[in-house]
This record gives sequence, C-alpha cells and structure tokens, in this order.
Amino acid sequence: MSAHDHPKAIGGSLLDRSMLVLLALFGVAAVVMAYRFFAGVGPVSNMTDGFTWGIWEPVNVVVFTGIGAGAYSVGLLCYLLNKGQYHGLVRPAVLVGAIAYTLGGSSIMIALGRYWNSYLLPWIPWWNLSSALLEVAICVIVYVTVLWIEVLPSILDGAAASRSPRWAAIGKTWGPRLAKAMPYIIALAILLPTMHQSSLGGLMLIAGPKIHPLWHTALLPTLFLVSCLSMGFGAVVALVTILNLTWNAKHDPKLFADMSKVNAGMLLFYVVLRVADVVWSGKLRFLALDFPTLLFVAELALFLAPALMFLSPRVQRNKGRMFGAALLAVAAGAAYRVDAYLTMYRPAGWTADGKPIAAGWNYWPSLGETIVTVGMAAVGVALFIFVSRKFPVVVVEDVRDEHTHVGSGPAKAAASR
Amino acid sequence: MRISRRDLLKGAAVAGATTALAGTASAREAVEPRPQAVGMLFDATLCVGCRACQSACKRANKLPVDLETGETGGQYDAPRDLNSSTKNVIKAVEAANGPTYMKQQCMHCVDPSCVSVCMMGALHKEGEGKKKLPGERAGSGIVVYDKNTCVGCRYCQIGCAFNVPKFEWFDAFPLIVKCELCRHRADPKQEGLLSIANPACCEVCPREAVVYGRREELLAEAKRRIAASPARYQQHVYGEKEGGGTQVLYLAPAGVSFTQLGLPELPDRSQASFSESVSHAPYLHGVTPVALYLGMAALIARNRKREEAAEHREEGK
Repeated sequence: MSAHDHPKAIGGSLLDRSMLVLLALFGVAAVVMAYRFFAGVGPVSNMTDGFTWGIWEPVNVVVFTGIGAGAYSVGLLCYLLNKGQYHGLVRPAVLVGAIAYTLGGSSIMIALGRYWNSYLLPWIPWWNLSSALLEVAICVIVYVTVLWIEVLPSILDGAAASRSPRWAAIGKTWGPRLAKAMPYIIALAILLPTMHQSSLGGLMLIAGPKIHPLWHTALLPTLFLVSCLSMGFGAVVALVTILNLTWNAKHDPKLFADMSKVNAGMLLFYVVLRVADVVWSGKLRFLALDFPTLLFVAELALFLAPALMFLSPRVQRNKGRMFGAALLAVAAGAAYRVDAYLTMYRPAGWTADGKPIAAGWNYWPSLGETIVTVGMAAVGVALFIFVSRKFPVVVVEDVRDEHTHVGSGPAKAAASR
Repeated sequence: MRISRRDLLKGAAVAGATTALAGTASAREAVEPRPQAVGMLFDATLCVGCRACQSACKRANKLPVDLETGETGGQYDAPRDLNSSTKNVIKAVEAANGPTYMKQQCMHCVDPSCVSVCMMGALHKEGEGKKKLPGERAGSGIVVYDKNTCVGCRYCQIGCAFNVPKFEWFDAFPLIVKCELCRHRADPKQEGLLSIANPACCEVCPREAVVYGRREELLAEAKRRIAASPARYQQHVYGEKEGGGTQVLYLAPAGVSFTQLGLPELPDRSQASFSESVSHAPYLHGVTPVALYLGMAALIARNRKREEAAEHREEGK
C-alpha cells in the first residue's frame, strides 16, 4: 500500500435496512436508559452492593475501549515506528476508537449514580491522584476529544471536496492548519491510552482480596496494556476485512500479515508474562481441576491460538483464516478483561486455597443491562457506517488504480495523513 | 518495508523495561494510626444480640426501617445485612456453646481503600479531604462522606474488603450510605471524646459490648481483657493490624474464629498502599508522561518531515 492511496466517502443510502435495525436496537436501549434516570439503576439492572458494576463497566468501558485501541495500536506502528504503509488503516481505526471511547464514556454516565456531579471532575484541586478511576476518567475525557480531532481530517477532506463553496473554503483553510498541528496531537493520542489502558488494569489492584489470586497481580496494569494492543490490532484486521467484503475496501494481505506478526508478538508476550507471573509469585498451587483453573487455561489458549495462526503462512495467505484469527485476538483480550473485572470477582473474597467464599450476592446481567450494552454497540456500528458513507475514511480498492498507480486524486489536498 | 525482528525486539524491550519499572515499585509509606484517632471496640463475648444498637442507629441517622412481614402478618424491622437503610447490623453465628453475635458497620480503616479510590475525595478522613465539610477537624480518622463530590461511581464498593459502603439502588438521586461514627451527634460544647463524635450504638448498648473511645486506649483495653481472661477470648485483636489496621476493633470468644464472624483474613499491608505503590511507580512523580510526550512528539514530527521530503523527491521524478 503506497502513500498514494486515498480514502473515499462510500456514499449510498444512509437509511438502508441494516441501519434501521441498528437504530431500532439503540431505540430500545434508549428507552431503558431513559427509564433508569427516573427509577434509578436498580430497577433496570441486576447490580447489587456485591456486584456493583455489573456488565456496564467491564464490557461497555473496558472491552469497548479495548476494541477502540485499534487507533492506539495502528498509531504506534504508523507514527512512532514510522511504518507509513499503515496510513490507510489509520482513519478507520481512529474512527472506531473515537466511537468506542465515546460510547464507553456515555455508558459510564448511565451507570454513575450521581452523574450530575461529574461536571466537577475537571476541577483539579479536588482530584484524588491515588484513584486509578480518576486517572481513567480524566484520560478518557481528554482522549475522546483527541480522537475526534484525529477524525477531523476526514471531515475537512470531505468539506474541501464539497460543492458548497463555504464548506470547501473551511476544508481548504483548516485542513492544512490541522495537518501542521497533528504530530503534537498524535503524541497525545499515544500517551493517553498508554496511561489509561494500564490504569484500567490498575483499577482492580485495590480489590486484592476479592479477585482470584490467578488474576490478581501487580502485573495487572502491564497485562491490560498488552491486551489492549492485541485487541486493537485484531479489531483493525477484522474491521477492514468486513469493510472489504461490504464496500470493497482495500485489503492488502501482505500488510495484514506483517501487522499480525506484531500482534502475534503481543499475544505471546502476554502469555509469557501471565505464566511467568503465576510461576514466580508461587501461585501454581492454585491450579487444580476446578473452574478458575479451567478459565485460566481457556484464556491462555485464546491468546495462544491467534498468535500461532498469525505466524502460519497458510493462515496469512487466507483472508477468511486471518479474519478468524483476528476475531480470536479480540475475544482473548475481551475474555481476560471481563474475567478480571467480573467472572473472578467475589465480594466476600476467596479462601487461601482459591475457593470462593459464599456471600448473599449472585450476579447475572439483567435484560435491561444487556439491552443497553447491545444498543450501545449497535449505535456505534451505525455511527461508523454514517461517517464513512459521508466522509473519506475508508480506502477503497480501485481496479484501474491498482496497475497504473496514477492515483493522485482530488482528495490529495488538505490533511491526507 | 516490513516489520523486522529487530523492531519487534525493540518493542519487547520497551515493554519489558516498563514492566520492570512497575515491578521495582518504591513502596508508598504505610499510614500509621493517627494518635488521636477514635473508634469502637466490639466484644463479641458480651453481646447478647438485643439489637438495641440497630434501632438506635436508625433513629440517630434517620434511616427508614427494613420492613419484613412474617407468616402471621406481623411486621419487623429486620435487615438481613448492611444496606442503604442500615448502617449497623447485628448478625448471629452458631457456635459450639450457643450463638455468638457479631456487630457490623464501617471499620474506619487506618488506611481505607474507599478513601484511596474515591475520585474527588467524597469519602475522606475527617479534616484530611480535598474539601472540608462544616465542622471537620483533622485527627479523628473518621471516614466521612460528602455527597456533593460523589459521582456515584461505586468504586468504594469494589475497594472495600468489608463490603461496607452501600448504594441506594432504587433511587433516581442515590447516595452512598455508611456509618460515619455519628459525627453529627458530636457536641461541640463538650470536652474530649464527645466533642468529636457520639455513636448512638455505643450510647445505648446495655452490656457495653460496644464502646466508643480513642483507638489507642481501646486497643490497650482489648489486650487487657485478653490478658485478664485468656480462656474467654481468641488471643488476637482483630483490627490492630488487619489491612493496615482499623479504628473499630474486635474481640472474639475462644472457639469462634474471626472469619466465622464474617471478618475477612487480610494481610497487614493495606490494599491502598499496595495499589498506590504499583500504580504510581511508573509515573516517577509525573516525569514519565511529560518525557514520553515530548519524546514522541519530536519523533513523530521528524518522521513526518522525512516522509514529506521523500514524497517531494518522488513527485519530482
């Protein structure tokens, strides 16, 4: 993929059938969310004082932002390691990131009991810097802004190519200006996820006695950071494959093979860290024929499988197999995150030999909670479709272009990144 | 251009260095009990389970009853556990020589997890928060709640090893509810302890099974009781060291373990100290993020300049 590939607005009907389904799903979720504001969190969820975060925090925030970390993963490769060939992936990845983080943030506003006080969060004198959640909150607020600024070049490109002279003028003036500032914004866009993705793991450090010893470790921040990278790379490959099938997006097998080798490294690094940590901290004694051990092994297998697949030339040559491996990489990170936050969390803690201590609380997500999570995911997909139909985000395969390489299109202007 | 093995190794080295940095976390100073800290001593050998403290607590804190209707239609204020309308509860444990009663409320930890994690310090040690409530004085060590800086994130519930903070689940404008040692019942005109707080539970207990006092004195008293009748007690004061120490201390009868009473086994190091040490270490007091940002911005700007130059050359051909 050369630097001369340019993203194009996909165009087409905005309200096709899939869009209507997505919006309907979100509509149902919106009703549940609205009801929550009148009745409280209890009536729509199965959350209790024991399982106080339900699935909204572990899934809507921790897993969604892990998927959104594609922007971070590709950004690292493209800008920090200067692999220009990945430019074509930046815009879709950044758009997914912006959407995923926005949805994570919005979900938190639904989950917060006293949401109206959150306007105080930017007031620095009241910051409790010991709170991992404060760090996550502030980082995410800033990062959402940064991500949407990173989406702006697409919007400005779209404006520059617009028929309306006023929009075109805006696009042509602000596009290059933004392009100049971009390195300083991109640096922030790499720093912030490094901080808050590790803090998402750090969040659970305080819950020491409540999390199974195989999951509770001082390496939580590191493991979360590594797993967000593997999820991010996986999400980008999966996304572009879907875009290739639906909109004929440019799909460069060699590029994906290269990037996925990096991902294989991440996945293997995670496995090595996780296993070494368990061995070194003397936690091997918790391995037994029981549910925690089974889950631990299943997680490791979920990380190992895509790693080995990514390294196999047979998989690298096959679009379908690559897609499968990429989905597995996302699933692995998601499983690890949900387990550390929820599956292996027990309010009364664990005995010295790793058995859960009984307490009066049980948890399984309610229909309302599930509807909100699904609705949020649906509106995320809808937003992605909307923006990429209207604005140049996706690089589309152009058969004529492929052989001649003349393509220095009109979109070349402004901030082609 | 492909990603070479060298690039991967470089990446692994950076990640490894970060990990090592996190591993060599310089421990955050352990928090010592404040010399003037107040608390309570609960002696499970004295409690007869009358629940006078439970109703006194509800009256003093204006909490609604937990109505439960019996099979014959009688109604009872019978909370099963701490909840958003119960800051203090008596539970029974079946033991060899009859039932033992257990009193549960906020432990007012020396180094509380809830305070460590609270985003804007809504939960804080009296007088040591980011923002002071009326009449707050430092030193008592009471964990107080300021609803005006609470966003209802419920991280305190995740952090608390005793599962003390409770949330009003069925309220559109909910609060976090937990024992504040009846600080609001303190009488500023009094001298000494009652000018700091005045727990209703201790005031009404007919057997002085729970008493209010300075933590230091209560700890000495607890040890004195154990020494005076070693056959009567477990040879241990729960809360002296557990989880970094608590300001509410417990004595258990011989033959009944503290875990049976529902108190978790905790290491001496507070969870807050562990979590803060690990989380803060890589930041090096804020140097790391700034240095990383500047370094990355410079690198990205340089990369871009090179790329642009290369592109111009290509176009010039």
